[in-house]
Amino acid sequence: MDKQIDLRGLVCPEPVIRTKKLLDDKSIIKVEALVESEVNVKNLARLARSQNVLMSCSNEGDHYRIVFTRGEDLPFTAAEEEAMKEAQRETQKQRVGTVVFIGKDTFGEGDADFSKSLLNVFLQTMYDSGHRPRAILMANSGVKLMDPDNPVLPVLDNFREAGCEVMACGLCLEFYGLKERVSSDQITNMFTICEYLMTADRVVNP
Amino acid sequence: MDLKDQTENKRLTANVKAGGCAAKLGAAELAKLLANLNQPSAPRELITGMANFEDAAVWKISEEVAIIQTIDFFPPLIDDPYLFGQIAATNALSDVYAMGGRPILALNVLCFPTCDFPPEVLTEILKGGADQVALSGAVLAGGHSIQLNEPVYGLAVTGVVKPQEVLTNGGAHARDKLVLTKPLGTGVALLGTKAEMLSKSAQNVLIDNLTMLNGAALSQGRKYEVHALTDVTGFGLAGHVHEMAKASGLKAGLHLNDVALLPEVKELAQQGLVPAGAYGNRESYKTCLSYINKVPLELEDLIFDPQTSGGLLFALAQEDAEPLRRDLELLGLGASMVGEMNDLAANESAGLVEIFYHG
Repeated sequence: MDKQIDLRGLVCPEPVIRTKKLLDDKSIIKVEALVESEVNVKNLARLARSQNVLMSCSNEGDHYRIVFTRGEDLPFTAAEEEAMKEAQRETQKQRVGTVVFIGKDTFGEGDADFSKSLLNVFLQTMYDSGHRPRAILMANSGVKLMDPDNPVLPVLDNFREAGCEVMACGLCLEFYGLKERVSSDQITNMFTICEYLMTADRVVNP
Repeated sequence: MDLKDQTENKRLTANVKAGGCAAKLGAAELAKLLANLNQPSAPRELITGMANFEDAAVWKISEEVAIIQTIDFFPPLIDDPYLFGQIAATNALSDVYAMGGRPILALNVLCFPTCDFPPEVLTEILKGGADQVALSGAVLAGGHSIQLNEPVYGLAVTGVVKPQEVLTNGGAHARDKLVLTKPLGTGVALLGTKAEMLSKSAQNVLIDNLTMLNGAALSQGRKYEVHALTDVTGFGLAGHVHEMAKASGLKAGLHLNDVALLPEVKELAQQGLVPAGAYGNRESYKTCLSYINKVPLELEDLIFDPQTSGGLLFALAQEDAEPLRRDLELLGLGASMVGEMNDLAANESAGLVEIFYHG
């Protein structure tokens, strides 16, 4: 069964309520609606998505014509999905982000102890300067930073609290005999590390 | 249907395009309008004025006292006239608390189509407002009313504060935590009420929040050293956090997993019950936001959702934030620690808000 409805001139949230009533009736396969404003279109797009029905929209000058079509478990149309993603992209200037990869427990090359403490200084400076990378990943000798006795741990905790992912490679932790001493939610694997490195906007390797 | 029936049956919110703080002019619009105002430079006595989108004007009278002046009004957001009066009054009084002050005097601001409603409706609106003013300890001392095709109600409020105790938008320190004293989502919830899609229990929680004066929350905050304060209203959480960060010369981090929400608002937002003001706020603030992780659309809508009678947003030291949040919980408020302030990294501008979310 098809239904047509003129939602122009209706005050929010009437357009959504009336459309929802029609879409809740599973015997109705197609609904064509006329709405006034872009806000109506955006609200109805959300409704369509929550109801898992297809929605297409055309701008007809002083109004929009929206067509909802019910299908068996149909995903959002490619066009509508793309439009929603575009809208989200516009606001969500999506940073897949900066990933800091720590592949060794030193900062640069030189005297061993000096190089290790320099890495701690770098991480502290990075935190104090307000940088909040998407993730800080440790591998190979870099996992030694996760040693409970390492003075850099509070800084790593700060990054974690600020929402950054801070993780160490499980294989490497095991190799260096540290796996037992690190909590499991901070352990990751090569697959995840690979994903982060390949999709990051930028990888920083101190 | 004779005229009496017509007026008795008409809902307060009928024909209201946007009620409550959703009716506010958008931030971007406002900024443009105010930019063209030719103002003489502010005298020393003006502690806060139009700059930094402060919640109220504060004028120093002496070393001991500064007066706070604010005004707030809007069309009905709910059909019950008494509740409408209460909520509008609560919302107006909030701006005094948001400066760290105490309200002392209020004046009614009223527009009403007396032909369209029975007189009891108007009486109830004014009663709701008067009762709320009395609850705050202030005195209702007059007001002004005109005939208009759409009802509008609110208050002009005067408050007092010690000049040294004024709390502004600016002044947050890097690494301060942000504590929000009420749950988010009134815009969406009010639309849900209008659509009769909000359960009775969720409606009760909503009303409790809308009619709760922010005085009690301010008292709790005063037990600690507060660095910056605002209330979260028409610009949404994202907008008000941005204004605080900008005024403080910092950037903010918002952790969406930790933000308390009113019951059922996520589901309502998912179904498209999002007020126009939320889209307006999104437009105004999108360039100041940076999404560190992907955020579900309904949560995004909720941080832009214009709040009516929203909670206070405190910026204070990390060690004080959790104790304050616990104190606020004991008051029965849905308080949450929503984020923090950070120093700017190179190439970052003050007012940047980074959004974090773990799915």
